[in-house]
Amino acid sequence: MRAMITAITRRFGPEVPALVGFLAVVVAIFGLAAPRFLSLANFDSMAFQLPELGLLTLAMLVPIISGGLNLAIIYTANIAGLTLAWVLLQFGGAEAGPGAFVLGVAAALLVGAAAGAVMGLVIAHIGAHPILVSLAMMIFLRGLGEFLTRGGDISGFPSYLAPIGHGSVLGLPVPMLIFLVAALVWHVMLTRTRHGFAVYMIGSNIRAAAYSGLHTRRTLTLIYTLSGVLCAVAGILMLTRFNSVRVGHGEALLLITVLACFLGGVDPFGGFGRVLPVVLALVILQVLSSGLNLLGANQHLSTAVWGLFLIGVMILRWVAGKVGQGRKRKDL
Amino acid sequence: MIRKLLGTVGGVVLAAGLAVSAQAQDKPSMGIVVKIGGIPWFNAMEMGIKEKGAELGVDAVMVGPTSADPALQVRAIEDLIAKGVDVIGVVPNDEAALEPVLEKARAAGIKVLAHEGPGLVNVDWDFELASVQGFGEAHAELLAQKMGGAGEYAMFVGSLTVPLHNAWADAANAYIAAKYPGMTLIGERYGVAESVDESRKTALDLMAANPGLKGFLAFGSQGPIGAGRAIEEMRKAGEVHVLGPFSPGQGRQLVKDGVISGGFMWNPAEAGRVFVTMGKMLVDGAEITSGTDIPGLGVVEPDVAGKDIITDNLITINAETVDGLADLGL
Repeated sequence: MRAMITAITRRFGPEVPALVGFLAVVVAIFGLAAPRFLSLANFDSMAFQLPELGLLTLAMLVPIISGGLNLAIIYTANIAGLTLAWVLLQFGGAEAGPGAFVLGVAAALLVGAAAGAVMGLVIAHIGAHPILVSLAMMIFLRGLGEFLTRGGDISGFPSYLAPIGHGSVLGLPVPMLIFLVAALVWHVMLTRTRHGFAVYMIGSNIRAAAYSGLHTRRTLTLIYTLSGVLCAVAGILMLTRFNSVRVGHGEALLLITVLACFLGGVDPFGGFGRVLPVVLALVILQVLSSGLNLLGANQHLSTAVWGLFLIGVMILRWVAGKVGQGRKRKDL
Repeated sequence: MIRKLLGTVGGVVLAAGLAVSAQAQDKPSMGIVVKIGGIPWFNAMEMGIKEKGAELGVDAVMVGPTSADPALQVRAIEDLIAKGVDVIGVVPNDEAALEPVLEKARAAGIKVLAHEGPGLVNVDWDFELASVQGFGEAHAELLAQKMGGAGEYAMFVGSLTVPLHNAWADAANAYIAAKYPGMTLIGERYGVAESVDESRKTALDLMAANPGLKGFLAFGSQGPIGAGRAIEEMRKAGEVHVLGPFSPGQGRQLVKDGVISGGFMWNPAEAGRVFVTMGKMLVDGAEITSGTDIPGLGVVEPDVAGKDIITDNLITINAETVDGLADLGL
């Protein structure tokens, strides 16, 4: 058992066993308290709800690891969604063919990448703090979106888009599949590529990374560009899920993505963090949210429980750190 | 140690869960997702839902998301589908965003009711306690009475882009133009009524520029308050009239001082009661046709094609009623 935990810890990070344990406890509690919690319908519902928050969290993750933050994720997603909607409307709205959809997706990804690239370039070359730059971008994109749509929503899309937001393949919801693929790509990127290595080094100490010959400016630009691309994927998914785009969709999710990153053991000061623990943290947040909803609890209470959960995890982490230190001393 | 801590945190979650999971099995169950939780309007609605639920034996709960975001409403509805409720009620933030998930709910055999969402397609019924026409005309008639049917009046709306406010204003203007030709509208309309300060400033400017101005019609919750303050400052209470829908708690003193003549609103607690009443009717398989008497709505004339039941159940805000409404927390 010990050996297995050590192996998991080495492979996926020290957070994983604790988070899996926590998840098991939470699922067991809700399974006892809410009769319908351990039902297929509920797991299906959770699997449909998680991906949009999940994609946005992944978009937040890499900037945080690099020691920054991307506050513009929600609006980048919505602007990308608006781009797709605009292209579809140009080709007749509900009558638009698959070609128009492909074109629209390409345009949306391009817009997401462009929004991210601008942020990345400013952060890399001007040296302004990412919080400031992404905040400015967030305000700009929100204003632009509200100006273009006058705050209203755009709807009326082809019916063949519905399966992307609501369909299942082999029992797995399509949004979930998209999320899992994105998570896998992100995991490989962070652990197996030069870019991933550079991200961690920049997050640990950007000056040392630069002196060691890493191309920090190019890496920073790429970090925010890729974050923008993933936001665009989230935006496209939101469009298919809601069958409409509005600048305000998903506003409430911004801080939850930061919460999920920190729960997943990502260092707020950058340099450390992995994809798998963050995915587990997302699952736990979803279980807490759906479980409390099934019990008919007040939504504000579930927010409070999320906060409590964050504090609990911090205490656990501290305790685990103490235990680890004690063991090391004994070995000496 | 870790296990102990896990146990503690788990215990807290369990306690929170058990505290709210007192529910019976055989009663019809209903979940009503509103725009946002924890604000007076929807607290009053929740009160109505609880009250009627206890009376009719329906296990009805209100779900109020923590912010007015359609994405949160979609999540809440998906959880209700998983929970297997018999009826889902919704007060939409964004009609279009809810269509797919409501379609899913109906495919799962769940009845769907909406309020303030006349454009929704995937519902069994949408009910309204105020029609656009009726709401605008009620205010117009009251203003005409206060002004004696003659003189100049100005129109405030929340913003020039709020569709509902502008529809009310259109209805009111059309009514006045047809019935009271002695009344004239000055200016076009002013999009200031979501801000007390701007409404006050605009009202002061308009009164200075138009000595013959006798009335303000303000659609937007802060408009009557702001214009009322301006009238109070100019000591023109009784001479210049202001009316429109506003929060009774906020405008209580101005109404009592006779500065705000009054206005109309609909009662969110009543809407909550109607949700439960209609939900029970749907579960019992009762037909709703022209002439059906629904408690809270009265005898209805449903629009079967649009699945809308639009009624005019306005309540008056004036010096007599304002205290009772304010005590509801409105």
